[in-house]
Amino acid sequence: MEKVNIVTQAQPWVDRFPLTGRYTYGVAGERFFRELKENGRFFGTRCTACDVVYVPPRLYCLRCFAPLEEWVEVPSTGTVHTFTVVHQDLDEAPLPTPEVIAFVQIDGCDGGLVHRLGEVAPEDVYIGMSVEAVLKPTAERQGGLTDIAYFRPTLR
Amino acid sequence: MKREVAIVGIGYAGFRPLTPDLSYKELVFEAATRAYAEAGINPRTDVDSFISVAEDLHEGTSITDEYVPDQLGAVQKPVQTVAGDGIHGLAMAYMQICTGQFDIVVVESHAKASNILHLGHVTAMAMDPVYTRPLGVHPLALAGMEMRRYLDESGLTHEHCAQVVVKNRAHALSNPLASYPAVLEVEDVLNAPPVAEPLTQLEVSQHVDGAIVVVMAAGDVARALTDMPIWVLGIGFANDAFALDSRSWAQAEYARLAGQMAYRMAGIRNPRATIDVAEIDDTFAYKELQHMEALGLCAPGEAGYLVAEGYTSLEGELPVNPSGGSLGVGHLLDASGLARVLEIVWQLRGDAGQRQIPDVEVGLAFGWRGLPTTSGAAIILAN
Ligand SMILES: [Zn+2]
Repeated sequence: MEKVNIVTQAQPWVDRFPLTGRYTYGVAGERFFRELKENGRFFGTRCTACDVVYVPPRLYCLRCFAPLEEWVEVPSTGTVHTFTVVHQDLDEAPLPTPEVIAFVQIDGCDGGLVHRLGEVAPEDVYIGMSVEAVLKPTAERQGGLTDIAYFRPTLR
Repeated sequence: MKREVAIVGIGYAGFRPLTPDLSYKELVFEAATRAYAEAGINPRTDVDSFISVAEDLHEGTSITDEYVPDQLGAVQKPVQTVAGDGIHGLAMAYMQICTGQFDIVVVESHAKASNILHLGHVTAMAMDPVYTRPLGVHPLALAGMEMRRYLDESGLTHEHCAQVVVKNRAHALSNPLASYPAVLEVEDVLNAPPVAEPLTQLEVSQHVDGAIVVVMAAGDVARALTDMPIWVLGIGFANDAFALDSRSWAQAEYARLAGQMAYRMAGIRNPRATIDVAEIDDTFAYKELQHMEALGLCAPGEAGYLVAEGYTSLEGELPVNPSGGSLGVGHLLDASGLARVLEIVWQLRGDAGQRQIPDVEVGLAFGWRGLPTTSGAAIILAN
């Protein structure tokens, strides 16, 4: 058999696999997102043995494997641990406006969240910048990560 | 007593950005045929077990493992699939041989990236569906963030990362298998369009299709099959945390731990002095630097300077990615680590052609499973 050496002459079968998943939050995620949605508050869990506060919260310690039962309210402010300016969307098409994405370490915690930064020009962002969460209005919150609209530089 | 294990055959196919002429099964068949011919074995009668390293979403099918036997000569034989980098598959093969139950084990991995219309979507499906994916951000954002934090903590610069691209694509000029050879300047890399700042387009390895098949055998079996067995001195693998809030954004902990395990097994105390050549994951330019430091080939914050002064070039003290790495050869998805091993095997056999490094006795290959994972595997080989 001859090999097809011209891409457009190959005859692939094209198929999509559109699947829908249900990703349950679990005990820790339910509480985290419920507090966020209903009260606009952030919660974490603490491991006293390791002296670590996890945000997002979980029921187990990654470091010592202890079950975690101590819930602590944490602020919705934090520090930019690292950040990037993304120039393309998921289809690899250029974004009309590049987006700033950061890992925000929540104040007083060991953990944090990857989220968008807003109300700031990309060139003004720096590691160590203080930021605060901007939540969507209560009526629009659905109990998920996007209940946080973005983080912005802390107003002084 | 621990069994000796050697690579007695290695075959490849493809290594091109597009392979419309071949299905992935035909690529695997071609690579396997070469590997078996080199080892002088018949898979239907001589091989005791087969291992495939593959990822369902890259294949576009579930139960990818069930597809493996036919094109590998493995029908009605022990077969398993390992999820990870190709070098994880070698680790499984090594352990199977050490049980004494298997004398010859085959490892396969392949990439048909050109069949994936939007790889970003596939990688996005690997991100946490609750805490990361809802942002709808291209996964390269994770690389951009990691690169920035790594540079911040190490004191290295974007120029150091660009040097890696210049070096690896120059190395690719003397590798006939490489799809992306180029003569570049540091400025070309820095001025390329940014994808996830500071990461630019030229710092992201581009994909190729291909397949690699490795035949491993126990000590005396290996000696009977070939005059040039390539011995496994050490092998190791490790993960960091998966959760983005609990892993290191600056250090490749998985590489440090995988390297430590492999060095311990090989009895290597000073990797920099012992290793003659290294092939190290460079999916992104900064990854080569981060992985070099984590693997103990230099001090933290030193990797960029070694690259800049030519220490890791083909003619340098410790050549890193003489093949051109993923930046020069092309990224082979799950098979990338085996592409690193392919070059080390050729260097140790003296078969590396124009880019042969003189007096090579010990080589290191390190593979990373790619975004957003913290899976790494290292192997130390000797002739
Ligand atoms: Zn703990």
